[in-house]
Amino acid sequence: MVTRNGIASVEGLAAGTAFLLRKNKGTGQAVVSLDEAFEAERERLEALSQDGESEAAGIFAAHLEILEDPMLRESIEAHLGDGLSLIEAVEAASKELAAMFEEIEDEYLRARADDVRDICRSLSERLSGSAGDSWQGLPEDAVIVAEELFPSDTTEMDFGKIRAFVMQRGSVTSHVSIIARSKGIPALLGVEIDGIETGDRLLVDGDARILTIRPEEATEEAFREKMNHRDAGDTAEVLLKPDGTPVTVFGNAGSLGDIDAAIAAGADGIGLFRTEFVFMDTDHLPTEEEQFAIYRQAVLRCGGKPLIIRTMDIGGDKILPYWNLPREENPFLGMRGVRLCLTHPDAFRIQVRSILRAGALGPVLMMIPMVAKVEELDQVHAMVLSCSEELSREGIPFREDLPVGIMVETPAAVLMAPELARKAAFFSIGTNDLTQYTMAADRGNPGVAHLYNPMDPAVERALEMTVAAAREAGIPVGVCGEMASTFEGRQRLVSLGVDSVSLSSPKQIKKLKQK
Amino acid sequence: MKTQKVTVQAPNGLHARPVGEIVRIVKSFAGTTVSLSTGAKTVSAASMLGILSLGLKAGTEVEVSAEGPQEAAAVAALVRIIESADIE
Repeated sequence: MVTRNGIASVEGLAAGTAFLLRKNKGTGQAVVSLDEAFEAERERLEALSQDGESEAAGIFAAHLEILEDPMLRESIEAHLGDGLSLIEAVEAASKELAAMFEEIEDEYLRARADDVRDICRSLSERLSGSAGDSWQGLPEDAVIVAEELFPSDTTEMDFGKIRAFVMQRGSVTSHVSIIARSKGIPALLGVEIDGIETGDRLLVDGDARILTIRPEEATEEAFREKMNHRDAGDTAEVLLKPDGTPVTVFGNAGSLGDIDAAIAAGADGIGLFRTEFVFMDTDHLPTEEEQFAIYRQAVLRCGGKPLIIRTMDIGGDKILPYWNLPREENPFLGMRGVRLCLTHPDAFRIQVRSILRAGALGPVLMMIPMVAKVEELDQVHAMVLSCSEELSREGIPFREDLPVGIMVETPAAVLMAPELARKAAFFSIGTNDLTQYTMAADRGNPGVAHLYNPMDPAVERALEMTVAAAREAGIPVGVCGEMASTFEGRQRLVSLGVDSVSLSSPKQIKKLKQK
Repeated sequence: MKTQKVTVQAPNGLHARPVGEIVRIVKSFAGTTVSLSTGAKTVSAASMLGILSLGLKAGTEVEVSAEGPQEAAAVAALVRIIESADIE
């Protein structure tokens, strides 16, 4: 028995039989020209990229772009001109282009080197006739072991037989992670695979990032016990509040299509409708009629379920080309969210009026981002009142007493939660920003990634204070950050007593809404 | 020939999605040649591999150049994508 640690993982537990990928020799039919190989690949990628069910479709669409990129063909042809064979030229081009990406100081772009290698590998497999049978002999409870996994590997993969992935390379942003996460399969990355043979028993612990090779019987038994225990909490996951009533499960949406997907998955409504796209997919500040048309569609698509519209959260990392806002030294601590709205009342007025009008068509709530002071909420209420009076005078239908709630995402809002709760119709905790601001740790900076942790006791205390203030004032409190997307995060939020969670993944919504 | 300089805003640099958008838009302007330059390197804006190979990070200044019947529109469209791209 041997145990090894992984560097990264996709959560979950699995026991199974090792299957070493790319150890099989191919016997398929070879194609003879580069044109044929490109054409065959193009057809395959087109089909895969149009599979709307698959979360990996986007990856294959990007592959298709690379396949059709003039630079790839030029590089292969240049090597052919040097007298190499077809397969050699494809391999040389693969090396050359991948090397170019690996020089880039950016993990995401470095991972594009894998895309290039993957496409070239598929091309050379077509040219050599070795495509297609690397899955022969896949056991029923396979743990796929490989140096790395390419998207093309997954096209013929029988996911019904795959219990886990164990990869020598890869990171949380690599293809294997994306695919494992979308299929709910545990994965361990950055594990030494040397010494593992096809047929070995493997225990994969994606939660603790531990791989056990050829476990002893007692070890496997204990592990299975742990798996059963976890599964009971995972697959039959029903979120219940401490009083036994179910937690409301909302969806997050950043477009009208997202609303459709969340509602189709069974969401109880939309807990966060981001309106930034309304402002970003255009070259001018959208008019009231333009905004109303979009919010109207959103209400209709919710089919009578609640829709929480967040007012524009422009600023921070989101910038509008037509709205010349001064460049800021520190945008995340600068003019964003409600701060921007209140300093640009003309633009804010248009949005508030559009939302009030949409409120006449169904259960709409308005949510204000980045609140740090009670006075900000007072000013928003004043704006809502003034817009209501205008609409009433103009005889335009709108919703009176439309509930106005706030995002709790600044430490100031947490500390002032009791006062804010008396004036807000609801709280929605944005755990991403709240974690970032509480821990003073940039979400995107790997150097402080260990501090950016929503499970930190400091964040937990902030959540407790927020929930307690909401309880005291008798207003609902929900969560719309990524914390709700992990099993442990949800469990903690529910035990703290939140009334709702709002999730981005329709798959997760579906899971939580199953009986 | 029309050129304009623009600074990449996306905090994690310009990724596959905005780059894909650039390539699609450039292809839609048939007859107009568009290129991107960082000073050190110039690539065709119709090549995704080329653009990605520039390794555009937040704060990098890029020069968009276009030549052809729709050069002004092409430059404006690319400047907008590069300025507004973000990965959330």
